[in-house]
Amino acid sequence: MTNHLTRSLFILAAVLCVQITGSGISRADTMEPVCIQCHSKQPGRLGAPVADWRTSVHAANGISCNNCHGGDPSDFAMAMSPDRGFLGAPKDTAIPAFCGRCHVGVEKDYLGSAHGRALGRGGPQCVTCHGNHAVQLATPDLINEKSCTRCHSFERARIIKAAMADTDRQISDLERSLAQLKTTGVVTDQMDGDLFSVRNQFHRLFHSVEVDKVRSQTAAFQADLKKIRDKVDAIHAEQQRRKTWGAVVIGLLIGCGILFMLLFHAYKAELPDNDS
Amino acid sequence: METRRKFLTGILGALGAAIAGLTVYPVFKYLSPQATAGGKGRVTIPKNQVGVDQAHFFQFQGHPAVVLQKSPGVYIALSAVCTHLGCIVQWVPKKDEFLCPCHGGRYTIDGKVIAGPPPKPLPSIPVAMSGDNLLIG
Amino acid sequence: MGIFKKIGDFLDERLGIRDILEQNLTKYLLPKNINVWYTLGAVLLALFAVQVASGILLLVYYNPNTDDAFHSIQRIMNDVPYGWLIRTIHAVGANVIILALLLHMLSVLFMGSYKRPRELTWMAGFLLFLLSLAMCLTGYLLPWSQLSFWATTVATNSSREIPLIGDVVVRFLRGGAMVGQPTLGRFFALHVMGIPLILGILVLVHLFLVRRLGISRPPFGPDWQPSEPSTTFHHEEHPGGIPFFPHYMTKDAAMIAFFLALTVYVVFFAPGLFFPPASFQPANPFETPVGIKPEWYFLWAYQTLKIFPSEFLGLAVQGLAVTLLLFLPFLDRSRERRPKHRPLFVAGYCVGIAVFIGLSIWGHFS
Repeated sequence: MTNHLTRSLFILAAVLCVQITGSGISRADTMEPVCIQCHSKQPGRLGAPVADWRTSVHAANGISCNNCHGGDPSDFAMAMSPDRGFLGAPKDTAIPAFCGRCHVGVEKDYLGSAHGRALGRGGPQCVTCHGNHAVQLATPDLINEKSCTRCHSFERARIIKAAMADTDRQISDLERSLAQLKTTGVVTDQMDGDLFSVRNQFHRLFHSVEVDKVRSQTAAFQADLKKIRDKVDAIHAEQQRRKTWGAVVIGLLIGCGILFMLLFHAYKAELPDNDS
Repeated sequence: METRRKFLTGILGALGAAIAGLTVYPVFKYLSPQATAGGKGRVTIPKNQVGVDQAHFFQFQGHPAVVLQKSPGVYIALSAVCTHLGCIVQWVPKKDEFLCPCHGGRYTIDGKVIAGPPPKPLPSIPVAMSGDNLLIG
Repeated sequence: MGIFKKIGDFLDERLGIRDILEQNLTKYLLPKNINVWYTLGAVLLALFAVQVASGILLLVYYNPNTDDAFHSIQRIMNDVPYGWLIRTIHAVGANVIILALLLHMLSVLFMGSYKRPRELTWMAGFLLFLLSLAMCLTGYLLPWSQLSFWATTVATNSSREIPLIGDVVVRFLRGGAMVGQPTLGRFFALHVMGIPLILGILVLVHLFLVRRLGISRPPFGPDWQPSEPSTTFHHEEHPGGIPFFPHYMTKDAAMIAFFLALTVYVVFFAPGLFFPPASFQPANPFETPVGIKPEWYFLWAYQTLKIFPSEFLGLAVQGLAVTLLLFLPFLDRSRERRPKHRPLFVAGYCVGIAVFIGLSIWGHFS
């Protein structure tokens, strides 16, 4: 009851606020959803998600409030209306389905795993390890002693992490190589896509939390990575070859310059009146 | 002094030639036509695009070509490039012959020269059937 | 050798070609104390030739259309054999030209060569400098990258502060309210045809003036004295000087080789100097990249606009500086050219260079 009243008052204030500043229409046209205008000014639990989200991988990729929570990002009055598909914070047991709307493969592997089977009985769900609004790009660092020992010993986790480490390092190395190539004007779109796909498939694999499964499929992933690595290596070799030829041309040009200077002095020495 | 000058000029000539070569080669490669993907190989055309006594023009290995249904079930494919000066021949259904609009060269349905300046018949291309499709090439 | 002699005889009979060559090569004598700075004109001619050649080659594959411009550059850089080389040479060459132009102007200023009777030579040269900057500005847009788009947006926008007609000028430069296809169309036309045509003619005028008036003698050495003003045309002769050919031309050739070596060095070993990451991202009119800066030769102007309280004031100061330099020979009319005897000018010269470098560094780090 109190909650309902607060919400009504709040919407009224928001509408007034927009009408006074007259910025409502133009703001609605921009990319930022209306959610942020109100929530960013609120203290505590209702305001914190905005700052958290801004640091997240979701924000970096343009995934905004309404992409997960639904609602209408362009209309203050209806922003949180269930009629517009608004979902508030999901219950713990509903979280895998909530995230799984986009992260389909991960959800499937997770639900089949020991973690997923323990959902609702003290088992972890997505947010337990990844956090919610401040979610970052997943790395094996998420598998750490502090996090895992909240529920069980780190032993099994350590083994899985070790099994993933090499492949994951290769993925990170390739990501860096591709980013570097991009700064030299090489079109890497195809390789970016391939690598992104391998990375997602591989990270998905972890969610089964089965060492044997990770180990048995690692060879296939590494073969895919090798294909990308070979292409990158070929480009690097080509760039190196270019530099060699560049050095040759520079050497020839400087050689020409020096010879011309010598020739100039030879000519000058022959001038009849050489006193300068 | 003069021998010194000649010596210097000689080396300069050699270096200059090397630089010229290293300049001309990339420019030549830059301007050379590039191998286009799909330049070789067969072309698949659905049979229903080629009615009886109708001509269907298509690209075959980088050149215009034409496929016809001479009589029900009998197909023939020819290069559509006139052997005279390279214009594209037209199909004249009423006369059952090809006419080149540039200089009036005429060919039979099989590509043989009937009249006009073309020196050679139109090269023919093998046609095979595969279900509802024609495999040309 | 016979065939060449015959062709030479044929041309000589009809055109008097040997006389022309003699007068302009072996009998064209340069001052005895001529220095290395006098080679910069020849260096610039060579560098412009490289730009023309590489530019024509780029035109073969470039497509001046906002939908495809960026991809056509990507194809040149990645798919066309040696396209990366030609494109990088063109981009780096532009920067080396600006560097050589600045050195050329600085040496002419230091030696007072712009003074009477060479006012027109200076003005033609200064206009060549401005046109070269216009070439850089228009060429910058053509790859249609994030860098191109936003550099052009900011550069054209700075005209907005011109009183009364500012908005009209901006719209006219862009061919619309925002940078878009109309802007690309006009910049392309200017870059490949309009400006090069005027630039080429001005180069001929500049060279004609240099040749017609004779090379100015460097104001150094014990026997240099300011000459008496002449009221009639006078070609400056240098009896007993250095023949242009083969003597001085070898020095020209040496300097050309060194400048080309510098260009090739940057092309192969430091292309990132002129290609920040934003130059490899396609233009996105809805997202301004963070921290884009103009090219180094525009940083002084960029910083000037920032330090003045109003943009109009900044623009006015820039306009004043450019106008003063253009008409410098008419403002500085003394006959004295020896730096030692022009302390005030040399002081101003040093301060000017320091301000240019200071503003550029400030602009780079601000």
